[in-house]
Parts: sequence; C-alpha cells; structure tokens
Amino acid sequence: MSDSHDSPDFIQHLIRLFYMVGGVLVAGTLITVLIDVLFHMPLPLAAFIGLSIALVKAGFVVAVFMHYKWDKKLIMITWTMVLTFIFFAGMMGLIMWAEGDAPKLNRAEMSIYWVVAAALLGFALPASFTVLTVKLLSQPAPVEAPAPKAKRVAKKKKR
Amino acid sequence: MEIPYTVKPRPDTGLYNGKLGIWLFLASEVMLFGALFSSYVLLRVGAEPGTWSMGLMNITVGAGNTMVLIASSMFVVLAWAELKQGNLAGYKKWKWATIACAVLFLVVKWSYEWPEKFKHYDIWLNDTKVLHGKFEKGYHATASREGKSAEEHVNGFYTKRFFKEESKLSNDNFDKAWTNGTLALQGHINAYEEAQINVEVTGWKADAGVSEADAEKVLAKLNAAGSATALLKDGGTVKEKVGYDEAKRAEYALGQAGFEVALRVEDYEKVPAHPWVWRTKRVNEDIGGKPRVRSIFLGLDHSDDGEGHHEEIEIETRHISRLSAFEPKHSTFFGIYYTITGLHAAHVFGGIIVMLYNMLPIGLALWHKDREQFTNRIETFGLFWHFVDLVWIFLFPILYIL
Repeated sequence: MSDSHDSPDFIQHLIRLFYMVGGVLVAGTLITVLIDVLFHMPLPLAAFIGLSIALVKAGFVVAVFMHYKWDKKLIMITWTMVLTFIFFAGMMGLIMWAEGDAPKLNRAEMSIYWVVAAALLGFALPASFTVLTVKLLSQPAPVEAPAPKAKRVAKKKKR
Repeated sequence: MEIPYTVKPRPDTGLYNGKLGIWLFLASEVMLFGALFSSYVLLRVGAEPGTWSMGLMNITVGAGNTMVLIASSMFVVLAWAELKQGNLAGYKKWKWATIACAVLFLVVKWSYEWPEKFKHYDIWLNDTKVLHGKFEKGYHATASREGKSAEEHVNGFYTKRFFKEESKLSNDNFDKAWTNGTLALQGHINAYEEAQINVEVTGWKADAGVSEADAEKVLAKLNAAGSATALLKDGGTVKEKVGYDEAKRAEYALGQAGFEVALRVEDYEKVPAHPWVWRTKRVNEDIGGKPRVRSIFLGLDHSDDGEGHHEEIEIETRHISRLSAFEPKHSTFFGIYYTITGLHAAHVFGGIIVMLYNMLPIGLALWHKDREQFTNRIETFGLFWHFVDLVWIFLFPILYIL
C-alpha cells in the first residue's frame, strides 16, 4: 500500500470493495458448482470453464485482497512473480521434454483441437498477465510527491 | 538488533522489507504447489481409461469449505483495514472471525471429510462374471424403481463416476474398464464372516524340556475342554470354536509347552462390523490367503430398496482381487488428492498458529510499541492467507469438479 492511499475515505472505499470481491468469489464458486450439477460436458470444455472461473476469482484476490492493484510502484513484486513463472515454466518444460514419451497428450480419445486450444490457453493466460502487468507498470505513478525519499535522505544526513 | 525498513519502504526496492520477504516466500510457494499441480495434470493425462477415480468427492462439502475459506480471506483483509484506521477492537473482531473460519475448515476436513473417505471401500472382483452378477443383484432395486435395466443404471452411474462426462467417448472408456475388471463395487463394509477355529493337540513331546506338571498347568490356564492327562496322552480338542486371535495365542502357548498343535476351521460366524472397526482391526490384510474371513458384507452406496436401506450383498473373499478404503493407497487419484489437500491443510494450520500469536498479549505488544509496524505485520500475514485461499480456489474445481 503506498502512503498516498492512507486517507480514511480511501480505506472506507477499500472496505466496500472487499465486500464486493467477497460476493464475487462466492458467486464464482456457486456458478462452478451449478454448471457441474446442471450440465455434463466433455472434460476439456469443463476444464476450460472451471479453470477460467478459478482464474477470474484468483485475479480478484490478487488485485483487491492482496491490493496488488494499488501497488503499481512495486516493480520488485512483479519481477519476482514474473521470473518465478518463467523459471517454473522452464522447469516444467524440461520435465516434459525429458519425459516426452510418458504422457500421451494427444490420446486417441481427445480431439487434437482441444489439445491445441489448451496449449494456447496455457500460454496466452500467463502471457496476457505479463503484458497487462508491464502496461500497468509503465503508467505514470499516482500523484505522489517524492516526500518519503527526501525525508529519509534527510534523516541519513543527520546520523 | 534493529531490523531496518519495517515501516518505511526501502528506497531501492520501494517496499518495506517484510512485504518483499513475504512475496519472495510466496514465489517459492507458487513453485511448490505448481509442481504438485503439474504432477496432478501429468498423472491424470497419463492414466489408463477407467483408472482415474473421479466423482468420489463430496461436492457439497467441498463447496462449503470453499465458501468458508473465501469468507476467512475477506475477514483477514477487513481486520487489516480496521488496524489501518487505528481500531484495535475491530481488528480483534475480524481476526477471531478469521480464526473461526480456519478452524471450521480444518474441522470439516479432518473430522468429517477425510474420515468419511476412510470408511468407504472399493472392492475389485477378480472375475468379470462375478462382477456382473453382483452389480445386477446390488443395483436391481434402484434400477427397477427408475424403470431402467440394471445394466443401464450401473452403466450410467459408473460412467459418471469414473469419466464425468456423458458422451460416446466415456461409454467406450466404461466398456473398456468393465471388461478389464478395473471397475469396483463401492460401499461400506457392514459385517464379515469370521472363522471359528478348533484348537487341537496331536501329541506331546516329553523331551521338549517341559515337565508334565508344567504342561498341565498350561492346559489349565487355557481352560482346556478335556481332561489334562488324556490330552497329554492321546491329544484331542483343547478349545472349540474360538476366534482367530485366541486360537493363535493358544497355538503359541501350547507350542511353548511342547505340544504339537493343529488349527481347524470348524464354522464361520457373521460378525457385524462398523466400518471403522473393520479398518482398525485390519482384518482385510488377511483377505484372500487364509480361511479366517470367508466373506464380507458390503452395504452398497447409491443403492437402496426404496425404504432407505442400503442393499447389502455378500462377497466371498476368494472372488476379491483387491480391497481398499479411499485412502492414499486406493489409487493415484487419492494419492495426489491427499498429498495436495494435506499440504494445503498444513498451511491453514500454520496460519492459525500465527493468527493466534497475533491475538495474544505477546503478539499485541508490538501494537502498543509501534502501530504501523504491527499493521504491516498483519498485512504480510494477510498476503500469506490470501495465497492459501488462492491455492484452494484452484484445488476445488480440479479435485472436486473436473
């Protein structure tokens, strides 16, 4: 949380948002269950819908509950998570490469289109997350004087 | 030692140190859970048709627990917002609510959801003919009520259970599993037929180093049926129709006293068994080899006679190729299920400990010393807690629904 957002009004605004996001998460869970109870669909489609809803929920948690949305300045967090993802994807890629013969992703029962769609999705979602993050970061910082920095420099000089 | 930058952001990172620390920790957690999620996907994609035991989860309980965790995630951030406004009483209120939710989550999981799994059994039969017969008997009542043939009913039920999709494709998988005998009967074990064993002595070795008097003492201790002298001389039945454990104990004692002992199964007795008792007695380890348990009585799930009773069918142990509760050893699915949810539950448990610490005087002391630092501490804990919630948000659809 950056210092400019400490005003009581803003906290009240945040609290309203927290309740809203709580509602969204509950609704997301209900929708997931209802879809499962009401329809029986092929696994790839079910996986697509289920995981999409989960991703939306996760997005809300990260953006609002973890107040990432207001932490635009925090490039360290972004780099930590982006590099983690790249490292992790690389490790998984290595495993897939080494064990290439074990899981048959294009099993006869599964249409190749679904496999391609899943692969694209698996690539597109993290990629779009990264692009969005970079875009967010490249925006000008919210109105904020470099006051804390100046203060600290002053303190240091005193010591 | 004073830890620097607990309140003000560090100039080069733009974060206070605690926050950077918790995000680095979360990055490592992402990899830990990510590896398990990837394992799940690889195991599932590589599974043979009919061996992925989906559809055994209780979706209502899972969805309820998801709600509880979502609520706790909201409460923890509200607690932080109260601190931000300088309201300690409000913080305590929301924090207790968070702890209550976390405890409820674990109580549901550890005292209901998992134990419920541990007393459900799958029984794989080693003969497809027997399998067909048992299916038709066990599922007849429900099937006839719904106006379906037994086969249609079983087919539909098991197709859903294993493959979770109503398509031509899943029917093929079902047929494959049906022919391979990888399908299993599911239910509670209500009773078993335990052997009643006669303990007989066929002779007594005088040169075994035990005196006649001592051997007679052993017989007296066992409350032997016949006269001691006659048993020593000609042999005979020492105990009649006793249970397996008692027979084994008698066999040992008599063997020590120089007797030659023979155990003979005289009869079988039906012993009612609560699923838990069955499990703790571990009688199932004997299944197949020894004559100790001749058959088990399985109360079938998803099958009742119209009056709410579960249909009970008798299955002889010689027909059983494998028997397992829904434990980790049951299948790859349950193996990875308990691994991931167990690790997640451990995180919830750790979170409860930290939350309690932050509610006790020792933790609250920091609030009275430095309010901003305490607020930041609660924020970093909140980040961890949201991550735990986040993991469950993905676990729920993957393990319960898909």
